Amino acid sequence: MSTAALPLADAPVDWHALAAQARFRRRLSTGLLYGAMALGALPVLVPYLWLVTVAFSGRTGATTFVLWRTLAVALPALVLASIVGLVIDDARRRRRGFLLIAAVTALILAFVAGPHLHLHNWRFLWNPDVADAMLGASGVGGKFPSVWTAFVNSLVLAGTQMALVVAVATLAGYYISRFAFSGRAVFLQGLLVLHAFPAMTLIIPIFLMMYWIGLQDTIAGVILVIAALELPFAIFVMKGFFDAVPWDIEMSAMTDGASRRQAFFHVVLPQVKVGMLAIAIFAFIRGWEEYVFVRTLLIAQENWTMSLYLFWTITDVMGVDYALVSAVGVFYVLPSVILYLLTQRYLTQMTFGGIKG
Amino acid sequence: MSRALARQRLDMALFLGPACLLLAFFFLAPVVVDVFLAFTDMGRNLTVTRFTTENFERMLSGDRRLPSVLLVTATYVLGTLAIFNLTYGLVLALVTTSMPEGAGAFFRAVWLLPRMSPSVVYALLWGWVVAPTDYGLLNQTLGAFGLPRIDVKSDAPVVLIILANGFIGASFGMIIFTSAIRSIPQHLFWAARADGASGLGIVRHVTLPAIRWQISFVTIYQALSLLVSFEYIWLITDGGPFYDTTVYALYVYQRAFGNGQYAYGAALALGLVLIGITAALVLWRLMDMKELLQRPRIEVT
Repeated sequence: MSTAALPLADAPVDWHALAAQARFRRRLSTGLLYGAMALGALPVLVPYLWLVTVAFSGRTGATTFVLWRTLAVALPALVLASIVGLVIDDARRRRRGFLLIAAVTALILAFVAGPHLHLHNWRFLWNPDVADAMLGASGVGGKFPSVWTAFVNSLVLAGTQMALVVAVATLAGYYISRFAFSGRAVFLQGLLVLHAFPAMTLIIPIFLMMYWIGLQDTIAGVILVIAALELPFAIFVMKGFFDAVPWDIEMSAMTDGASRRQAFFHVVLPQVKVGMLAIAIFAFIRGWEEYVFVRTLLIAQENWTMSLYLFWTITDVMGVDYALVSAVGVFYVLPSVILYLLTQRYLTQMTFGGIKG
Repeated sequence: MSRALARQRLDMALFLGPACLLLAFFFLAPVVVDVFLAFTDMGRNLTVTRFTTENFERMLSGDRRLPSVLLVTATYVLGTLAIFNLTYGLVLALVTTSMPEGAGAFFRAVWLLPRMSPSVVYALLWGWVVAPTDYGLLNQTLGAFGLPRIDVKSDAPVVLIILANGFIGASFGMIIFTSAIRSIPQHLFWAARADGASGLGIVRHVTLPAIRWQISFVTIYQALSLLVSFEYIWLITDGGPFYDTTVYALYVYQRAFGNGQYAYGAALALGLVLIGITAALVLWRLMDMKELLQRPRIEVT
C-alpha cells in the first residue's frame, strides 16, 4: 500500500492539487489584472462621482468630504465584490453575495453621506432667475435665460439634427448600396475622403456662409451644419447595413408587384432598423454635446443650448457657487449618459467602413 | 424608355439628392470660400475691400507668434498620440480582450465615458481636478500622501492638455484595436501557446503583426483629429498661460473670432485644410486595403 516505495516516475500525480494550484494562480493573475485596470479607471470615474456628490451635497463650495466618504465605503465594497466574483463559482451564490454587499454598502452610505444630501442646488430647475439673483449684487442682472429654454433648445437641436441625419443617410446609403449609377465609385471615394476630413478646419468659412445667407444665430443653421458634418460617417454605416440585407427579399417583393420605392419602404427598411437606431443615437449625443459650432454660431441668449448655459454658468457663477455649477453639470450630462448606457448593445452591432465596392 | 430614364433620374434625386446637397454646401463650398477669403482683407466688419497676398506674407515671415505655436502643436500632437491614443489605447484593448467578456466591456465603458460626456462638463471636471486651491482633487490626493501642492495649469500646462485629450483619445484606439484583436483567429493564439510563447511574446509576434493596419489607421486618423481639434484646450486653458498651450487650430480660431482677422484666419486655416485633404487621401489609400475592409466591427465612433 505504501506509495512511497514506488519509483518516482510512477508516483500518482495529485491532479486535484495541481488543478487547484493552477486555478489559484489564474485567479491571482486575473485579480492583479483587475486591480491594475481598476486603479487606472479611478482617475476617470472619481471626477464624475465628485460632480454628482457636490451636486447633491455641496453648499456653495466644491466640498470633497462627501466624495471621500463615499469612496471610503464604495471602494472596499468593490474590492470585496470582485473577490466574491473571483472566488465563488456558483452563479446563484455569487449573485446572492453581490446583493448582500450592495445592500450593506447602500446602508452604510445612507448613514455616512445621507444626512448631507439636499436638493437646494437644483433650484435652477424651478427658479429661472437663480444665476441672475446671485449675480445681481455684482450688477450683471437679467442675462441668464431659464434652464428650460436651453434644455428645449438642446433637445430641438439634437432631435432635429438626428432626424435629418437618419433620413438623409438612410436614403443615400440605400442608393449607394443598391444602385449602379455613373460616378458611383467617385462618390464612394469622395465620401471616404470626407469621412476622414476634419470638418473643424472649415469653421471660419462656414461661419461666414451662415452669416451671408442669414442663418447665423439661428438654431436651424447649427442643425444643418452639424447634420452635414455627421453625414459621411452615417452614410457609411447605413451602406454597411444595406449591404448585409440579401437581394432576394427585395427581388421577391418586386416580383410580387411592388415598386422599387415600395420595396424599399416596406421590405428593406425594417431590416436595417438597428443601423438607423445606431446612427440616430450617435447623432443625438453629438448634437446634445455640441459646443464649438454652437458657441461660434449662436449669440442671443434665447438661443442658448445646454452647453452654452453650463459654460456661462461656469464663467459667471464659479467663484460664487460651485455646487450650483455641479447640479447644472449633472443635469446636462445625464441624458447622454443614460442614452448611451441604454443603447450600448445596439451600438455594438454597427459595422464601420465595410466597403465592398 | 424615356419614362424609365426619367424615373431613374427621379430616384437618384430622391435618394441621393439631399445628401449631395448637404455635403456640397458644408464641405465643398467652405473649402472654396476659405481659399477665396485667404486672398482678401476681411476684418471685423465682415466685408471685402480688396484682394491681397498679405496674409500669406504675414504667415511666412511676419508672424512672430507662429513658430512657438507650431512647436506647442507638435509637442501636443506627438505627445498625446504616442502616450495615449496609441500606447494606452493598445494596452486597454489588449487587457480588456484578455478578460472575461463582462469585465472587459465594463472597463471599456468606463474609458468611453469621457467621450460620451459633453465637452463642457469634461473640461469643467479637469479644471476642478487640477485647481491649485485646497479644493482641487489632485492637490487633496497629493496632500494625503504628504506631497506639496502643485499648480498644473500654470506650471505644466502642456502636460495638462495632453492628459485631458489623452483620456478621451485612448478610447478611439481601444475600440478599433479591440475589434481587430477579436477578429484574429483563435487558433493562432493556441498554436503560439503550444509552442511555448509567453504572454508578451504572443502580443509581440501574433497580435501586433495582425493589427498593424489598424495601428497605422489609428495613427493617421488620430494625428489628424488632434491637429485640428481645439475644443478641450479652449475650454480648459484657453491657450494660456500666455500662449503656452495655444495650438495651431486654436490660434486660427482666435485670430478669426477673437481678433476679427477673418482673412488671416482663413489663410492660416488653409494650411490645416491642405493637411486635412492630404491625410484624408492617405487614409483612403489605407482604408482601401483588403485587410481593413474585412475587419470592421466597432462599438462606437
